[in-house]
Amino acid sequence: MDFNPCSKHRLVRKTVREFAEAELGPIAAEIDRQGRFPAEVVEKMGPLHYFGLQAPRDLGGAGLDTISYAIVIEELSRVSAGLGLCVTVHNSVALYPLLRFGTPEQIKRLAPDLISGRRIGAFCLTEANAGSDASGVETLAVAQGDGYVINGTKIFVTNGGVCGLALIFAVTNPENPRQAASVLMVERERPGFSVGEIEELTGMRCNPVSSLFLEDCRVPAANLLGRPGQGLKIGLAALDTGRLGIAAQALGLAQAALESAVKYAKERQQFGKPIASFQTIQNYLADMATEVEASRLLLHRACAQKDAGQAFGAAAAMAKLYCSKVAREVTNLAVQIHGGCGYSQEYDVERYWREAKVTEIYEGTSEVQRMVIARDLLSRPV
Amino acid sequence: MQIVVCLKQVPQVAELPWDPATGRLKRDLAEGMTDPAAKRALEAGLLLKAAGGGELIALTMGPPQAEEVLREAIALGADQGYLLCHPALAGADTLATSQALGAAIRHIAPKLGLILLGVASSDSETGHLGAQLAEELDLAAALNVEQWQLSPNALRVQRVSDGFLETLELDLPALLTISTQAPEPRDTPLGGLEDAFASGQITRLGPEEIGLDPARSGLAASGGRMLRVYSPAAQKKAVLMRGAVKKSVQELLARHGDRLGGIIGRDLGAAE
Ligand SMILES: Cc1cc2nc3c(=O)[nH]c(=O)nc-3n(C[C@H](O)[C@H](O)[C@H](O)COP(=O)(O)OP(=O)(O)OC[C@H]3O[C@@H](n4cnc5c(N)ncnc54)[C@H](O)[C@@H]3O)c2cc1C
Repeated sequence: MDFNPCSKHRLVRKTVREFAEAELGPIAAEIDRQGRFPAEVVEKMGPLHYFGLQAPRDLGGAGLDTISYAIVIEELSRVSAGLGLCVTVHNSVALYPLLRFGTPEQIKRLAPDLISGRRIGAFCLTEANAGSDASGVETLAVAQGDGYVINGTKIFVTNGGVCGLALIFAVTNPENPRQAASVLMVERERPGFSVGEIEELTGMRCNPVSSLFLEDCRVPAANLLGRPGQGLKIGLAALDTGRLGIAAQALGLAQAALESAVKYAKERQQFGKPIASFQTIQNYLADMATEVEASRLLLHRACAQKDAGQAFGAAAAMAKLYCSKVAREVTNLAVQIHGGCGYSQEYDVERYWREAKVTEIYEGTSEVQRMVIARDLLSRPV
Repeated sequence: MQIVVCLKQVPQVAELPWDPATGRLKRDLAEGMTDPAAKRALEAGLLLKAAGGGELIALTMGPPQAEEVLREAIALGADQGYLLCHPALAGADTLATSQALGAAIRHIAPKLGLILLGVASSDSETGHLGAQLAEELDLAAALNVEQWQLSPNALRVQRVSDGFLETLELDLPALLTISTQAPEPRDTPLGGLEDAFASGQITRLGPEEIGLDPARSGLAASGGRMLRVYSPAAQKKAVLMRGAVKKSVQELLARHGDRLGGIIGRDLGAAE
């Protein structure tokens, strides 16, 4: 067992850090405040393979392993978690299900635009009455001729405002509650598809999270992903992978907060000394560093399990549960260490603190992660 | 035509402590990265290859972990990499380094057209290596080049020297060090990194393979000796300014206006 990052993982980290600090660093605070999607940076990221992180090389992707994937999301999120969110959602819950469940024809037709970043992907499960309970989906897709007509409203869609392809979870078999939903891939330009208002969020504000409306939106049967009734299966598989990305995003936030806290504690003088010389502050920093390291190990182990072809759903849920909790706690302590300055937009830690919270909510709340973990635990033979 | 780019791995942090006993930097305290100046040289190599074809070879001398800079070069588009790595090469100054690199280049590039280096590495900043390597291999050289144009048998380059813009023409093979005013290095594509680690071709060489005389390598062959390294002593002095605020501000500007203006990017003398 080797706990040192291999040369490739070190270089991936360095490469992404350099890019993120140069391109996103100077604008991260501003795009958060203004709620602006940094399209100019996203455009540069396409040719660098950020939108096809694990897609095969021959399709134009980067072909990276899952630990590298987690490192990329961590490093982007360390600088701008809102853009980290864009990239992880696109890769893990839009592109990945297409590559895994799509037919060769669908992959040939739809994957290149996603992989190159010409179209940003979105994953649309949540509705007014369907949150933690995915079986509450009410959006309806009725088979008609050689296709489906979709009606319904999706809410809290990450990348909603900029998405070019949306994976819509819709009921196709209302009579079969266990296999009611299917996934339909809807291109932005289809008549009947429209984007609602961008949410005024607490954090992740550079990501245009929005509602999406489907009004008599027709898609050909060729846009059905997997078989009819496979919606839940596809959704859960996508979320297993997605959770690794959200864990990585949380980790990036925690890492950023830790670095800020160390820097500030060394600079800020009170009682004639740097506050870093006080044992209480040292204890905070020691706990923060320990939790960040533990998070990274847990996450990378879950990623390694996925790459080894092992079941990793529970491991991904543990990583997401733990990393998001650590992100909330570490960003909170970072604000505390900054005192009043921590509560001001002058410093980045208030942004990290606002952003960390949502990692405990989306792609399955922490309560839901515990359900996943407990189900796995209790289903094992004793 | 073969283009050889010499890359150095340097510590990632700007200020690295050194060992007061030996005067050498404590390189193991920091992660390594490709020297920023060398990245300009690599960019020049990539542009030249894109325009005129040929084989782009990345070469570095360093410890085993310096292989990383070769992987990065391959990720960006270099065709292959050579790592010159052996305990006998340790402790080399720029002269010994130029002898080792020269021997390596004779060995790996029989169809040599061009050697490219950065102007000066970010960690030691001597700027000697390019000139010394050109001497070692007896090549025409131009240092601190900003622009270039390659025709089949000659290379026309432009550089600023002593405030004058010079245009030079060199016979091939030649050696250039690339200025920090040359085109900005491109970003590394992640798929390139994947390829570089999956299938990138890197060969490790030692003094024996390249026919380097041990007497011409490492610390033994180094002509220069570091006698002393020290930080210039900084003095802290508190100055108390009294009286009206306006007067204090004027006094402050008179004392430190240049530096303050430099920090905020304004000519404070011009303001009122
Ligand atoms: C910024 C942002 C981006 C998002 N992006 C997307 C996206 O791209 N696509 C998408 O489909 N959705 C997205 N979501 C929605 C997100 O996934 C949901 O908000 C989340 O799954 C929780 O659902 P809910 O909000 O309806 O809360 P509810 O399900 O109503 O939960 C409320 C509370 O009850 C708890 N709870 C619910 N059921 C149980 C139970 N059985 N046992 C114990 N506790 C329970 C929950 O854990 C939570 O604490 C996004 C949300 C946000 C805020």
